[in-house]
Amino acid sequence: MNQQLEGILLRALKREKGARKAAEKILEGKSTEFYDLTQKLKKSNFKLEKLIAEKSSELRGVFENIVDAYVVMDLRGNVIKMNEPATSLLGYDNNQENINLFTLVDVSEVEKVKKSYSKLINNGSITNFQVKINTKSNDQKLVHINASIIYDENHKAIAAQGIVRDITEIKNLELQKEKLLLKLGKSNDELQEYAHIVSHDLKSPLSSIYALVSWLKEDNIGKFDKNSLQNFGHIESTLEKMELLISDVLLYSSVSLDESKKLNVDLNIVIEDLKKIIFIPSHIKINVKNKLPVVFGERTKFQQLFQNLIGNAIKFNNKKNGLIEIDVSEKKSFYQFSIKDNGVGIEKKYHDKIFKIFHSLNDHKDSTGIGLSIVKKIIDLYNGNIWIESDYGKGTTFHFTLKK
Amino acid sequence: MKTLKILLIEDDAIEVMKFNRTISKLKLNHEIIGANNVEDDLKLLAQKTNLPNIILLDLNMPKINGIEFLSILKNDDTLKYIPTIILTTSNNQKDLIACYEIGIAGYVLKPLKYEDYVSKIEKLLAYWSINELKNTNERNRTY
Repeated sequence: MNQQLEGILLRALKREKGARKAAEKILEGKSTEFYDLTQKLKKSNFKLEKLIAEKSSELRGVFENIVDAYVVMDLRGNVIKMNEPATSLLGYDNNQENINLFTLVDVSEVEKVKKSYSKLINNGSITNFQVKINTKSNDQKLVHINASIIYDENHKAIAAQGIVRDITEIKNLELQKEKLLLKLGKSNDELQEYAHIVSHDLKSPLSSIYALVSWLKEDNIGKFDKNSLQNFGHIESTLEKMELLISDVLLYSSVSLDESKKLNVDLNIVIEDLKKIIFIPSHIKINVKNKLPVVFGERTKFQQLFQNLIGNAIKFNNKKNGLIEIDVSEKKSFYQFSIKDNGVGIEKKYHDKIFKIFHSLNDHKDSTGIGLSIVKKIIDLYNGNIWIESDYGKGTTFHFTLKK
Repeated sequence: MKTLKILLIEDDAIEVMKFNRTISKLKLNHEIIGANNVEDDLKLLAQKTNLPNIILLDLNMPKINGIEFLSILKNDDTLKYIPTIILTTSNNQKDLIACYEIGIAGYVLKPLKYEDYVSKIEKLLAYWSINELKNTNERNRTY
């Protein structure tokens, strides 16, 4: 019996030992696992710390190196943090004094800022906010602000950050520019007005002289000899030339661009209309070789342009069968036109001079030399070029471009 | 054709001579009133006793601007009925539009040549002689 008991106990003990060994083995395995985990955790912690340090340093860099003023404030508008440019812009330093948003903004702007600040808190950001502020030295400045809200991990708003840019100068320049443009427009109008007044003041005495000469003739019929009468005739034609000059100067001075009158103009119709206005002698033919384009601009300017060139081509034609050819070719960014005649031609040495004001080559009765200056001025207005080709005695071709 | 009483508002002496000479050259019987001095012309109109049938008004006068003068006329309950024709050398569109806006009965450009002037005045006066005009002289008015 004892021996039997002893056998049971021994077996039990053996089982126990085996179980314990197994347990120890499991424990040992677990503990290695645990150790590994700890090591891993340590490693990733280290990595995280490194990352935070990196990011913090990055942020600090941004904070310190940013050219614009950067300000962080709590939700009540108290400044918590500001960078160097902010200190120099505002004149305040948050390390030495307490600054609040509402002490910075101009009194007239407080209501506007209150509204925008609550908008910022509700929406999370505002952009392009312009406000007048007063610096510590009491300079008023206009600033432009882009701002956003900083949240904690529970997405609770904790602070506001903003980039502040001084736009006082830019705004001043803009205003200055507007004023200058206004002034320029005004002085242009004044110049126009002045040209009209001068032209009136010059024309009136001319018509008086004309009347006086007529009366001298009327009151002394039969008393003047042929020579004197001829001289009266010269006085009259000189007066007419003078009047034409004044009219043309006025016309030239009124060539300016009126943006509001710009529209799409079909040049084919312009030419058709011109053929009805201009007197074309029966021995002169006008041919349009290709279909002309539709261009964008002021109709009257294009009409003046073609009228002057075609008019010249007619005026200075001395051939039995006069021929005027109008043509166009389309280029990438412009149209190139040509108006070719078989008239008197222009000597090479005059090719540049003819576009200058008052430079009429011929002593033509109804030519003051302003026509081509007007043409040049119009082409300049449309960023084009004009040049001529001419065979003296055989004819002239005017080439010009108009930007598309 | 009726004879007209014409007030010429013009302060250039030769222009006045031109107008008078034109009338006599055309052998017209119109009566020309006016002091050849804008201020006196205004006084004459203010009396309202010797009012013209038509007024010919120059725009560019040194003492008073023709447009101002026109405004005075058109703001007066009696004078506003007198047809006023602008006679000027200025074809400034701005002036022309301003005049029509205030109210004018015509806008005639003074030409350079005397013959052309005579011909324009002849037509202008012929037109107004065949027109019915409001009797503006209140004292002459019979009720």
